[in-house]
Amino acid sequence: MENQEDRETEDVGGPESEPGPVTTRIRARFGDASVSTGNAVGCESVIAERDALLPFMTFLRDDPELSFGYLVDVTAVDRLPLDQEIRFAVVYQLYSYKHNRRFSVSVPVPEADPRIGSVVSVWPGANWLEREVYDMYGIVFEGHPDLRRILMPDDFGSYPLRKDYPLHGKGERDNFVF
Amino acid sequence: MGLEDQLQENVMTTKVDEMVGWARKNSLWPMPFGTACCAIELMATLASRFDLARFGAEAIRFSPRQSDLLIVSGRVSIKMMPVLKKIYDQMPEPKWVISMGACASSGGVFNTYTLVQGVDQYIPVDVYIPGCPPRPENVIQALMKIQEKVAQAKAN
Ligand code: SF4
Repeated sequence: MENQEDRETEDVGGPESEPGPVTTRIRARFGDASVSTGNAVGCESVIAERDALLPFMTFLRDDPELSFGYLVDVTAVDRLPLDQEIRFAVVYQLYSYKHNRRFSVSVPVPEADPRIGSVVSVWPGANWLEREVYDMYGIVFEGHPDLRRILMPDDFGSYPLRKDYPLHGKGERDNFVF
Repeated sequence: MGLEDQLQENVMTTKVDEMVGWARKNSLWPMPFGTACCAIELMATLASRFDLARFGAEAIRFSPRQSDLLIVSGRVSIKMMPVLKKIYDQMPEPKWVISMGACASSGGVFNTYTLVQGVDQYIPVDVYIPGCPPRPENVIQALMKIQEKVAQAKAN
C-alpha cells in the first residue's frame, strides 16, 4: 500500500533521527551534549536537566524561533518497576501558537529527592497543574506560590498515582474522620 | 350522632397521624445531591416527560433547610462526604433519604481509594435504587416507596 511505504520512510524517532527545527535551535543555544532529544511521530521532545530548568524553559518561551507561549499540561510519570535509574519524570507539554508547533519536555526527578523548580514564573497557568502533580506524585515544586493539594483532602497523606500505592488505598476511604 | 349529623359531609373524621402523613407524602420537597451522571437521569425524571410533579415532589429545593427528601445521585468521594453529611444535618426533621444508583449505594464500579463505598456508612438511607444509571421509572418507584414510608410515619 502506498500509505504504508510513506509511513516506513517517516521519521519515527530515536537518537539517530534527523533533528527537527526545535532541536536544532536548542542545540545551537545549549550545545549538543546538554540535552538529549527525540522526534517521534512528528512531535519533537527533549529530556532536560532539572538544575537548569528555569533558564531552559524561559528560552523556550522567549526565543522568537520557538515562542512556546502556551503550557498545555504538566504531568508526571512513575516508572516503577524501575527500568530506569531515576524513578519519576515531570513532563511538560508545550504549544506555540506562532509556529503551530508542539513540543514535549521531560525532566527526570529521583525518588530520594523529589524536588523540581516551579515554572509558574514562566507560565502562570502552571499553578494548578503543578499542584495536581504534587498531589498525585508528591513531587515538590520549589518556588510555587501556593503548593497545596488540589484534588485530595488536605490531610490525605499519600500520593495516589504513585505505582506502589494500592488501587483500593490504605484504608483512607473507610477510616476518614469528619 | 349529634355533631356529625349537623355537619354532614363537610367534615371527615380521621387520625392526626394519617392526616399529616397524607399531606406530607404528597408534598415532598426533594434536595438533589447530584454529583455525577445519575443526576442527569434525576433531571430527566423531574422534567416534563416523566414529571415528578405528579407525585407532589416537583419543588426541588437547593437549600437543605427547606427540604425533607435527600436524593443522593452520584459518586461521593471522601472529600465530598463531609459536605453531604452537613447537608443531611441541616435538613429539618422529619427527613428521608434516597440513595440513587450503584455509586451512591455501594461505590459502584469505582472500587478505588477515594470513593465512599456506599453513603449508608455515614447517613441513614431509606430507599436504594439499583442501576447505572437507574431509569426514571426506577426513581419514580423509589419515590412511591418513600411515600408509603412517609404515610406510615408518626406525626411528631
Ligand atoms: S451509578 Fe452509574 S450513572 Fe450513577 S453515578 Fe454511578 S456511574 Fe454514574
